Amino acid sequence: MRGGQPIAFVVGLVFALVVGAALLTISGDPVFDTYQRMWDRSFGTADTLSATFNRAVPLALAGLAVSIAATMGLWNIGAEGQIMFGATAATLVGRIGAEWPSPVLIVAMLIGAALGGALWALGPGLAKAEIGVSEIITTLMLNEVAVRLIVYLQTGPWKDPDGFGFPQITVKPEGSQLGIIWERSHLGVLIALAVIAGFAWFVNRSVWGYELRIAGASAKTAAYAGISMRKKVLGVLVLSGAVAGFAGGVELAGTAARLNENISNGFGFAGIIVAALALMRPSGVALVAVFFGAVQVGGQSIQTLGVSPAVAGILQALILFGAIGAAVLSTYQVALVERKVVTP
Amino acid sequence: MTHPAVELDGIWKRFPGVIANAGAGLTVRPGTVHAVLGENGAGKTTLMNCLAGVYRPDEGHVRIDGRTMIFASPADALAAGIGMVHQEFRLVPTFTVAENVVLGAAPRVLDTAEIERQVGEMAARFGFQVEPDRPVWQLSMGERQRVEILKALWRDARVLILDEPTAVLTPQEAVELGEVLRRMVADGRSVIFISHKLDEVVSFCDEATVLRGGETVAASVPVADVDASELARLMVGDVAVEAVPIAVAMPGDPALTVDNLFVRDARGLVAVDGVSFDVRSGEIVGIAGVAGNGQRALTDAIAGLEPVEAGTVTVMRTDVTNAPPQRRFAAGLAYVPEDRLGVGLAPKLPVTENAVMREFRTLRRGPLLNWASARAFCDRIVERFEVKIGKRDAPLAGLSGGNLQRLLLGRELSGKPDVVVASQPTRGLDVAGVRAIQRLIVQQRDEGTGVLMVSEDLDELLSLADRILVMNAGRIVGEFNAREATRTQIGEAMMGTTAEASA
Repeated sequence: MRGGQPIAFVVGLVFALVVGAALLTISGDPVFDTYQRMWDRSFGTADTLSATFNRAVPLALAGLAVSIAATMGLWNIGAEGQIMFGATAATLVGRIGAEWPSPVLIVAMLIGAALGGALWALGPGLAKAEIGVSEIITTLMLNEVAVRLIVYLQTGPWKDPDGFGFPQITVKPEGSQLGIIWERSHLGVLIALAVIAGFAWFVNRSVWGYELRIAGASAKTAAYAGISMRKKVLGVLVLSGAVAGFAGGVELAGTAARLNENISNGFGFAGIIVAALALMRPSGVALVAVFFGAVQVGGQSIQTLGVSPAVAGILQALILFGAIGAAVLSTYQVALVERKVVTP
Repeated sequence: MTHPAVELDGIWKRFPGVIANAGAGLTVRPGTVHAVLGENGAGKTTLMNCLAGVYRPDEGHVRIDGRTMIFASPADALAAGIGMVHQEFRLVPTFTVAENVVLGAAPRVLDTAEIERQVGEMAARFGFQVEPDRPVWQLSMGERQRVEILKALWRDARVLILDEPTAVLTPQEAVELGEVLRRMVADGRSVIFISHKLDEVVSFCDEATVLRGGETVAASVPVADVDASELARLMVGDVAVEAVPIAVAMPGDPALTVDNLFVRDARGLVAVDGVSFDVRSGEIVGIAGVAGNGQRALTDAIAGLEPVEAGTVTVMRTDVTNAPPQRRFAAGLAYVPEDRLGVGLAPKLPVTENAVMREFRTLRRGPLLNWASARAFCDRIVERFEVKIGKRDAPLAGLSGGNLQRLLLGRELSGKPDVVVASQPTRGLDVAGVRAIQRLIVQQRDEGTGVLMVSEDLDELLSLADRILVMNAGRIVGEFNAREATRTQIGEAMMGTTAEASA
C-alpha cells in the first residue's frame, strides 16, 4: 500500500493540472505562465521555499492536532478556535512579560498558547467523556466563540491606544519575535518539526501511548485491560487542543504582528485536510503540510498575473482534490478482472 | 458419465507471508453431502472462498458441472449455482425472514404477502421450521442460520457451502440441520460441509476430503468406510490424539464466590437473574446452556466488564463486586473472554503489546514503557505456552486461532491466578489446539486453581468439568456431578424443561 503512494500522488497531481489547464483556458488565462508562477512562488527559489516552510508550520501543527484526536476516532474540527484562543493566551503572556528577556518571553508565550488551546478543548473533552456529547458539534461551535472573544478584546480592554481609533490590539512586544533561521524561515519551522517528532516518539515509547493504541483499537479491549476510555477521550481532546493552541502561539510569535481574529486564517480547517492527506498518521503531517503550504502560497501568487481569485481558489481545490483522491485510491490495487470464461 | 458437481483442481492461493492453499483439490459428486475437514489454518475457508467467488485462485481450475469457471465476484458464483453460508451471518435484523431471503433477488414489485407465502412454501419443502413474517432480530442463532440457507435456495443454489454450521447450534438443532441437508441432496443438490467436529461428519456426510497445510491429504473418502480416529489422524498428521487425562479433583476452599448476582444487558433486560455459586480451588465448574442465556453477561460481570446490579462477586475472600478489571486480575482472577479478538486481544497491535496487556503497569519506567522488559515478558509467554508467532512486532492478526488462544491464555495464566474464568476457550480451534487448551486448563486445576468454564460443547464439559451448572434464561436451573450426569439430563435442563425454569 505504501509503495503505490508516490505514483498515485503524481497521477492525482497530473489529473489536477490537466483539469486546471482546461479551466485556465476557458477563463482566458495563460496556462504555462500560471503554472510557472505557482512553482516559482512556492518552491522555485530559496526565498519562496523558505516562505512556504513558514506557511507549513501552522498547517502541520493543526494537522497533528486533528490526527491526534483521530487516533481515538474523534474529530476535532475546532482547531481553528483553539489556534485563536492559544494566540490570545500567548498575547496575554506577552502583555504581562513584555519586558522579559526574549527567550523567556517566547517560551512562556508558547506554553501559555498550549495551555490556552487545551483549555478551549477541555469543555468539549469533558462533555464527550462524561455524557457523550458529540465533539464535532462542540469544538466547531467554540470556533465562533473564539472569534467573538478576540473582537471584544480588540474593541475593548486590549484596544491599541496608539491605533488612531482603529479597533485593533496593540502590536506584540519586540522580544516575542521568533528568530530567522534560513532566508525567511523562522525558528517555528524547527519547533514544529520537534513537536511532531517528539509526539511520535512519545506515543511509540510511553505507557500513555500504549494505552492510547489499545483504546483506539477497541473500547471493549480497553475496558478489559483496565484502561479508562473516559480519561483517554478527555486526554486526547485536550492534547489535540493544546497542539492547536501551540500552533496559534507559534504563528503569533513567528509571522503575525499582532493578535486579530484572522490569526488562524483557516489553518484549523486546513489541518483536517492535512491530516486526511497524511492518512491520519501523525508522522506524515510535516511533509503534507509543506505541500499544502506550497499550494496555498503558489495559488495566491497567480492572482498578480490577473487570474481571478475564484479561478485561483478552484485551482488550489483541484490540486488538493487530486492529492486526496490519490491518497485514498493508493490503498487499492489496480487489477484486471476476467469473468465467467467458460470452456466446453 | 455425469460430471462432478464441483471440481477444484490444483488450487494455489498465496497471501503476503502465507500460502493458504498449495495445490489443494476437491471433487464433489452431485447429490451428496461432502465434508471438508481440516484443522484451523489448513486452508478450508480459503478454498471455499475460491469456490464461492470471494477470492480468485492464483493457480488452478474451478469446474462446475464439468465447465471451467472464473468468478469475478460472489455474485458470479451465485449465478453459477454456488451459495455459501458464512460463519458470521449476513442478515438485516430489522427485516423479516421473507424480506431477508429475497433481499437482492426480489421481484420488481414487492408483494409482501406473496413473498412470505413463497418463502414459507419453499421452507416447508425442505423441512424448515420458520415463520416468514418474523423479524430476524427475534430469532435464535439456529433460526438465523436457516434464513441464510433459505437465501441460497431462493437463488436456486445447486451447491451449498456451509462453513462450520453447527458451531451456533444446540445438539437438537444440529440433528434438524442434518435432516434438512438430507432433503437438499435428495433434491439433486450438493452440500459442502466444513467442520472439524468428527462425530458430525460421520453422522451427516457421505464423503470427506481432508486438508492439511493447504494441501489435500485425502480426497473423497467414503465416510462409511473409515472411523473417526482415522479421519482425526489424517487431519493432524501423525500426532497422537488422545483424551486429556483427568485426575480426581481435590477441591479446597472457595476461590470464587458469586452470591445472588443480578446483571442487566445493554438493552436493560435482566440477563443474569439471581445467580449464586462457588468455585473452589482445584475444581473445574462448567456452565452449560444454549447460547444467549446469560452466560456472557455472567462472565463479563465476574470479570468486571459489565456492571453488577445486585449481589456480590468475591475472589479469594476479597470483595471485587465493583472493582475495575485490573484490580480483579491483581486479586487473582484471570479471564479468557468469549470474544477473543474483540475483547481479550487487539488484533491490529503487535504481539508484544498484546502480551503485556495485563502487566504493562508493572513494566513502566517513569512515563515510558520498558520495552526490553515487555519483549522479554512476551518471549517467556511465547516459549512457555508454545505460541507460534511470526515477528514479535508484527500485528497479532496474522496468528492462527489456536495460537491466538494460547497467547491469550498464557498471558492470563502468567499472573499465577487463583481463579480462571474461561468462556468458550476451545470454540473454533482445531483438534491440536483444543487439546492444548484443555490440557492447560486441567493442569491449572491440578495445581489448585479454581476454574469456571463456559462451553456450548457438552462433551467438553462432561469430560473436563467436575461439576456442571446449567443456565437457562439467566438462572442456574440445574447442578450435576459431571462424572454421573448424562447428555440427556443436561440437555433437558438446557431446554428449560425443569419446573424451576418454567416458573
